[in-house]
Amino acid sequence: MTAKPDPLIHPITRLSICGLLAAGADWVEFAALRDAAGISDSVLSKQSRVLEDAGYVEVRKGAVGRRPRTWFRLTAEGRQAVQGHLAWLSQLEEAVSASTGDAQQPRPLPGDRDQPRRVLPPLLGSS
Amino acid sequence: MRDAARDPAALELLRVQRARLANRMRLPWWYLTGSAILWALVFAGPFSSRYLPRGVPTWPIFVAAVAVACLMQWGLTRATGIKLPFRNLRYRPGRPVGIAILVVFLAASETEFLLIRRDLIVAAIVVAALAVVAEMACLQAALRVTRRELRGGGGAA
Repeated sequence: MTAKPDPLIHPITRLSICGLLAAGADWVEFAALRDAAGISDSVLSKQSRVLEDAGYVEVRKGAVGRRPRTWFRLTAEGRQAVQGHLAWLSQLEEAVSASTGDAQQPRPLPGDRDQPRRVLPPLLGSS
Repeated sequence: MRDAARDPAALELLRVQRARLANRMRLPWWYLTGSAILWALVFAGPFSSRYLPRGVPTWPIFVAAVAVACLMQWGLTRATGIKLPFRNLRYRPGRPVGIAILVVFLAASETEFLLIRRDLIVAAIVVAALAVVAEMACLQAALRVTRRELRGGGGAA
């Protein structure tokens, strides 16, 4: 798998939908996906249609009694794109945390008089 | 629309959403009860050779049990909104639980046959009851594996 960004699943709502569908389930029902992603019905409908048109998501519609039920799953192409995009995001996250982690020093809390004694010796190389 | 790369919490948000999805994966009371009854039927099998009159076919019970199991699985998918793929022993995270289910089934069935042959009926009933409890514990363990996989993304980052 190659880590590469995918512009189609880059917006966070589509990333949420695809990331949830790639979590390990075969099919996920509309309400379960909506609740887990924390988005509205209309947003899920709109974004899932975009993903379906791109061939990333397969949609199956049915009904239980009178209630319509819609199920989603990732296609093989969609799964590959999501995995590549998530790997790219992980690399980005690691790079960001590595670059900020070295430069960041713990900020002194108000009234923390011991902070110089804790922070300075390792910086000055004294025991 | 929000941009995932400019939002450092994008992956963290996805982790929270996956945890929410994993939390939907709960076994309803009827599924637990039904599973316990089905396992009890399975472990009652060895008694049938001794207590059922000859000529009574056992296959209708077997077919009915399989039908009930399929119905329960369908109901669980409907209740949770999550359909899991079929997994065999090649699926590594679930392998220990799968092996445990098989071992308990084989060991308990053989022990029951042995005890029934020696007329130790009470001991055979105790073994069957313990086996049902063990299989239910395996079911809970399998659920934990499924939840962990959903939370972790099933290998996808």
